[in-house]
This record gives sequence, structure tokens and C-alpha cells, in this order.
Amino acid sequence: MLIYGMRASIPVFFLALTAFGGANCVLADAPRVTAVLSNSEAAVGQTVQLQIKVMGDRAAEAPENIAVDGLEINRTGTEQHFEMNNFNVSSSVIYNYTILPLKSGTFKIPPQTVRIRSSSLRTPELTLNVADSPGRSSSSRSNRNLQPGDANKLVFAELIVPKKIAFVGEMVPVEIRLGFDPRAHPKLVDGPEITGQGFTAQKLQQSQENLETINGRSYDVVTFKTAVAAARAGKFEIGPVKAKAQVSLPRTPSTSRSRSRSPFDLFNLDDPFSDPFFADPFGQSERRELDVESEPATFEVKPLPANAPPSFSGAVGNFTMTTDAKPKNVQAGDPITVTSTISGRGNFDRVNAPAFEDERGWHKYPPSSKFKQDDDVGISGAKTFETVISPNEKKQALPPLAFSYFDPLKEKYVTLRNDAVPISVQGGAPASPNAVASQPAATAPATVAAKPSPKPQDILYQLTERPARVQSFTPLFARPIFWIAHLIPLAALLGFAGWKIRQAKIDNREARRIGALHQESTDLLRRLRRGEVSPQEYFSDASRAVRVKTALAKNVDPNAVDAEMAAATFQLDENSRAQLHRLFERSDELRYSGRPNGTGTISPENRREVLELIENLRV
Amino acid sequence: MKQLIADLCCRRRPLGGATCVCFGKSASRFAERSVYSAIICAFLASSAFAQSDAEFTKANTNYAAGHFQEAVNSYETLVRSGEWSANLFYDLGNAYFRVGDLGHAILNYERALALDRHHPEADANLRIVRDEARALEMQSSWPERYFQFGSLNQYSVVAAVAFWLGMFCVFGLIFGRRRSAAIITLSILSFSTLVIAAFAVYKLENGNTGRALAIVTGTGVEARFATADSANSVLALPPGSEIKILSTSGDWIYAALPNNLRGWLPAKSAELVQL
Repeated sequence: MLIYGMRASIPVFFLALTAFGGANCVLADAPRVTAVLSNSEAAVGQTVQLQIKVMGDRAAEAPENIAVDGLEINRTGTEQHFEMNNFNVSSSVIYNYTILPLKSGTFKIPPQTVRIRSSSLRTPELTLNVADSPGRSSSSRSNRNLQPGDANKLVFAELIVPKKIAFVGEMVPVEIRLGFDPRAHPKLVDGPEITGQGFTAQKLQQSQENLETINGRSYDVVTFKTAVAAARAGKFEIGPVKAKAQVSLPRTPSTSRSRSRSPFDLFNLDDPFSDPFFADPFGQSERRELDVESEPATFEVKPLPANAPPSFSGAVGNFTMTTDAKPKNVQAGDPITVTSTISGRGNFDRVNAPAFEDERGWHKYPPSSKFKQDDDVGISGAKTFETVISPNEKKQALPPLAFSYFDPLKEKYVTLRNDAVPISVQGGAPASPNAVASQPAATAPATVAAKPSPKPQDILYQLTERPARVQSFTPLFARPIFWIAHLIPLAALLGFAGWKIRQAKIDNREARRIGALHQESTDLLRRLRRGEVSPQEYFSDASRAVRVKTALAKNVDPNAVDAEMAAATFQLDENSRAQLHRLFERSDELRYSGRPNGTGTISPENRREVLELIENLRV
Repeated sequence: MKQLIADLCCRRRPLGGATCVCFGKSASRFAERSVYSAIICAFLASSAFAQSDAEFTKANTNYAAGHFQEAVNSYETLVRSGEWSANLFYDLGNAYFRVGDLGHAILNYERALALDRHHPEADANLRIVRDEARALEMQSSWPERYFQFGSLNQYSVVAAVAFWLGMFCVFGLIFGRRRSAAIITLSILSFSTLVIAAFAVYKLENGNTGRALAIVTGTGVEARFATADSANSVLALPPGSEIKILSTSGDWIYAALPNNLRGWLPAKSAELVQL
């Protein structure tokens, strides 16, 4: 019904998101627990809400009842919240308790143990100031102007500054409560806004909305939370808080005249029929804008002490530091990511990355940071810094990291140093002794005496010999001699190619000659078989046939062949050898005797013998 | 002398059964001039070598006497005259080490190793000085690491031999009467070797430790993101650190740095290893 009213807890929607998350669903990091009071000041009989919030694990068991003398604390319900950020689903369980103060005084609600599976966490101790009567519960509350009959009774504003003394830069939580009479159908038009100078304020966050009964009237109370930090020392006045709201008022001829009381409101109580709507059910009411303003609050700001450590960057609060590095085995020059997390409560906007106390032998890159807040206003959470460093030499551990802050409770500076993170760096020069000695004293055993630094190894002797020839950086392939030298194999290759080509040509001529001899041999045998020639021609052809066959067998000139060579070539027996001799003699005789052709004949036996002799000439 | 030249040029009497050919008067004059020129050149060369030898001896003497800066000057004179040798750069590196200039010491050891990659003294001293200077080294790529067992010149010779062997095999296959499996295999092997050797030459010449390798000689040198002294720093480079020069722009060089980074640094702060 109210203005700010859309609650985002739609179970179906969250269930769908959880299902969508599937395997990527990461249920936060380590479980954490916080406890907050809706108001740190109350009056006797005025209820205050206590919330114990467990993040990171839903299987937590909070106590049903909390026993504090003078307070009645009962658990009133449990809420489950899911949050999805970059597909990482984080869940939290909120256990709500109602605290009813039974008497006035300052009450300490002790740390409560919340069991989470096999481990247990403890909530911080909380303080509740209880006044003896509602009208004096707090200074701000007493300033409310809720006189009956005044239009302002429909709305009110309240500024609660729980801390009256702070240090420069210290985050002071501030609560703004705006109350609206629900029957006036109020609508917040502008604000709320904190006015004042000399301090910075976090963005206002609407934290809750309750129906409260104040001075016998019901109000929808919207609570805004923020935190302020003073920029300088001195006395400050915060506020007033200003806001603008629209309300419905009955349109009457005389606004001074009070509206007729409902017949059911006999005792001037807030019965529903006293609502302006019932007084003017047909739209006779009008909307009016009202300025809502609270009383200002004052607080004193003390300066920070002068002896700030070198690594102090202005962080004020209470912090812890954890450090890790990945990878731990690297080569010299390889990057190592150092992750340092500053968690706690304070002004995180002034929390800078922890500083390396000894950067010698390291090369450092600018860090990146990420802040995850645990509360509504961002004064509680964890700021994670990732710094990439690379070793220039052999190292056995990361350089120590230091982070300084001012603790307003202890009122002194605190410097956090991490434990030595062992790493292994291969390659490069060995670590300088100074770098090793600069490890934090807490991590180094006190009994170990410092080893004397090894004396640097000396270089080798001079060489007094000079080579006879001058050397060159020019690579061999860029020198002319390299390419000139290629002329030798090139010439050899060309010579080889020429020789092979010539050889091929020669082989071709020889083949033609052999072919011609084969042809001649075939023709001669054909003529000898016919026997139609004169004896002179016959024997001449026969001896020629023998010569050709021998020439083919021995690859020689046929004219150089005689009977003996032919007989030796074909390895003839004595009879054939004699026959061959006779054939050659007869051929010579007939060729050189001068007898005319055709004077004699050759007997068929002679012819057959000669043919058989020639045909049987085989190698 | 003239007679000697004439005798060398034109012998009229038979020599060992063969007859020497005389080219006449003009050829004789040409030969005479050539011999004179050769003698003069040899004289000048020997004179220069003797002079540089004396300079080298002087530098060594200065070094032995502990006058390291004078030794550096003498060695540098020899370097400027082009009388380069691995020993000269090694000695110069030693002299620079003695005067405390670790960047130049490393540079000259690197030069000695560039001329003679198996120079044990330069190798040993380079390690010592690198450790002392905490100089950063370039990471070689895996092909470079594998090809380190041979030098650039050796791969060049292998490539040339493989090429010509392959060519002879191809010609043998073209002109041969039959295709021999052995020749085919040999030709394939040859050309494969050629390709591998050529790749090795390319990688060694253009890799991180190739021709563009330079050594940071200045002190307090920081590689930056841009060509300005006010630009953000990429990496602090101790003297003697290796870089690979990628390009030059005015007084700035753009270089590949150790740890796979890149950045700009003043040109005067680094010197190329190979002259």
C-alpha cells in the first residue's frame, strides 16, 4: 500500500533464478553472520527488531530465544533471500527477533552462537539503550511534533545519529525514519535529504518499512540508512533531514474547523471511519504537499593522531587482511597475481591496496580493486585488490604487504602485515640478500643467524690470442662468396645434364644402326632361302649374313668381321668352323676369281648346309 | 725483380716437357703491375694487422695493469676499425665489467658468442655478469630452442648442400633410363632437409635471439607504453637485459621485451648485438 512499497521477495522468481543458475550456482564464499538492531535506542515497552543474518549457508541454526535480563527477546520468523550477481547465486537467511524492553537502562545483547553444519559462528555484541518512557527514548524522538489536529501529524521525520563523538574520516551510521499516517494516502515526492556541511554522506538506502504505533497513532515508518564521515575536526551539526510528501486532506469550507467525528469514534480514537476518505467519499478531498523536516543532530569530530605510518591512506575503522598469490611456481619475469582482501567495517572509499614493503627485485603493476559490501550503506564488507607483480630474479617468498588504518575504538594506528607467502621463482639471478632479510621478523625464526652473503663470482681471464682472420657478423647466406660457391654445383649440374643429353643422342644413333643390321640380316636370309641368285651372289650374301650376325652379337662393324671372329663369337665346333671357313673362302674366291656370273650352280645340299649353318649362328 | 717477373711470366725454354706460352709484351706489363699491386696490398694489410696487433697488445697490457678504462678505449678502437673477433669482444666485455658497466659487458659477451657460439670463456662470463646485473633474458620460442644445436651458418651450408643434392637427384631421375627408388628417396630426403634447414635459418635470423636482438646498456631504463618519458611504465629493464627491436620511431625503439611484453624505450639505451 505504501509508496516505497514493492517488496522484491517473490519466491517463484527466485526459484526460477536458482534453477537457471544450475551448475553455476555458487553459494557465496565462506559463511558469515551479522546481527543488527532496527534501533539502538528504545523506550520501555517499545519493541525493537533484531535481525541475525547468515550469509553463505542456508543450513544455519540460530537460537530460538535470547536471554537478556530486562529484555524479552523472541524469535518471530525466518526469511530466506537469494541474490544473483553474474550468475553467482548467493543466499542468506535472516532470523527476526522482537525485543521488548522491560526496564530502562543500557543492555548488552551478548554474542549469539549460530551453528552452521559442523562449525559455528558468533554474532557481534549489540547494545540497546532503553529509556524509561516513550517520550524520552531519544533526543530526536522527543522532538517530534505530532500535535493532534495539525496537518503535520500525518507525517514526521526523525534523524538518529547514535554516535556523538567520532574521528575524522570515521564512518558514522545514520538512520532516517519517515512516518506517514496511512489514512492520508501519503506519497513521498522528494527526499529525504540530509543537509549540512563538512561531512560526506553515503547514498541513502531504504532498509525497512514497519507499521508502528507512536503516541497511540499508527504510522507507516520507512527507515533509511546511510553513513556520514567528517572531513575535518570540530563540532558538526547534521541535518535537518528534509523531505516533501503529498497527503490527502478533506476539502472543507473552513480548514480551521475540525471535521466531524465519526459516530464510531466516541473516544477520539483512530477508528477507520475517522479516515478523511469516509468524510468525503466522493472525491471531496484534496492532495497537498507537506514539507517534512527533522531536528538536526550534533556530533563532535576529533582529529587523527599525527604519527601516521607510511602505508596509512586514510582508512578509519576496524579491518583484517588476508593475502594469497597465484601461481606459486614461476619463471623469472612471469606474472604473479597477488590477491589481498581487506575486510571489516570502516570507510572503504579510503582503503587503498596494501603496499609492498620491499619492491626490490620485483616489478609491480597497478592494482585493481573490487568491493563487496555486507550492509546497506557500504561501511561493512570486503575490498579485494589484485596486484600483478613479476620477479626479476630468484625469490623464495613474496615481499611482505602492509596495510595501515586508524582504529577509532583503540584510538591508535594499526598496521597489518601478511604472513610470508612462499613461492618458487626459477631462472634469473638469485635473490639479493637484502630482499631475503627484508622478510617480516614475525615470520623468520629469530634464532637463525643471518648467513654471510656469498662473494660474487669473478669473471674469467683475458684472452691474448687474436685469430689471424677477421670475423664477421654477416651470416653466411648474406655473403657473396656463399652464392658464388653455388656456381660450382651449378656448373657440375649443367655438365651432368649435357653429358646425359649427349649420351641419349649417341644411344639413339646406335639403336638406329643396330636396327639397320637386323633388317639387313633378315633380307639376306630371305634371299638365301629363295636361292634364285648366282653362286657368286649367293656366297657373297651368305658371308655377309654371317658378318652381320656377328656384328650384331659383338656390336662391331660388319666389315671388320672375318671367319675366325665369327666362329669365336658363336663358339662353333670344328665341323661348323671348317664349314664357315669354306664359306668365306668360296665367297672370296667367287668375288675375286673374275669368273662371270651364272657359270655354275649350287647344289641343293650345299644350299641347305649353308642355310643351316647361318641359321644356327646363335650366341 | 723485373727479371723475376719476366721469368715467371714468359719462360722460353721447355719446362718439364711442356712449353710455356708467352703472351707478349703487353701481357707482361699487366702481370708486372698486378704483382706490384698484390705486393703493395699485402704490405699494407700486414702493416695494418701489425698495427692492430700492437693496439690489441696495448689494450691487454692496460688491462693487466689495472687501467681498465684505457683498455676499454683501446679495445673500442679495434672494434671501430672492424678488426672483429670473438676474443676481442670477450676481452672488451671483461674490461667493461671491470669498470662496472655491466650492460656493455653483457653486450660484448653476446657479440663474442654471436661470432663464436662455442666460446666457453664468453659463455661463462656472460652467466656471471648476468647474475650480477639481474638482467632479463628473452624467452626463445620452441623452434629456436630446438634449432639451437646448430649455427645459422651451419644451417645455411646444410640447406645449400641439400638443395644441390636434391637437384642432382631430380636431374638423375629426368635423364636416367629407369626411376630408381633410391634416387627418389634421396631427392625427397634432400628437399625435406632443405625445407627444415631454411626454416631453421629463418627462425634463428628473425627469432628473439636473432639479428634484431639488442642489449640494454643504459641504467634505470624503463620500457613505456608510449614514446614519452611520462608514459606509464611497462617493465623496468636492468642493464644487460635482452630485447628484440621491432621498429624505430625517431629517438624511440619499439621492442619485444622479456615476459612477452612490448614497449617503447629510448633508442640510445640499447645496442644491437650484431654489428
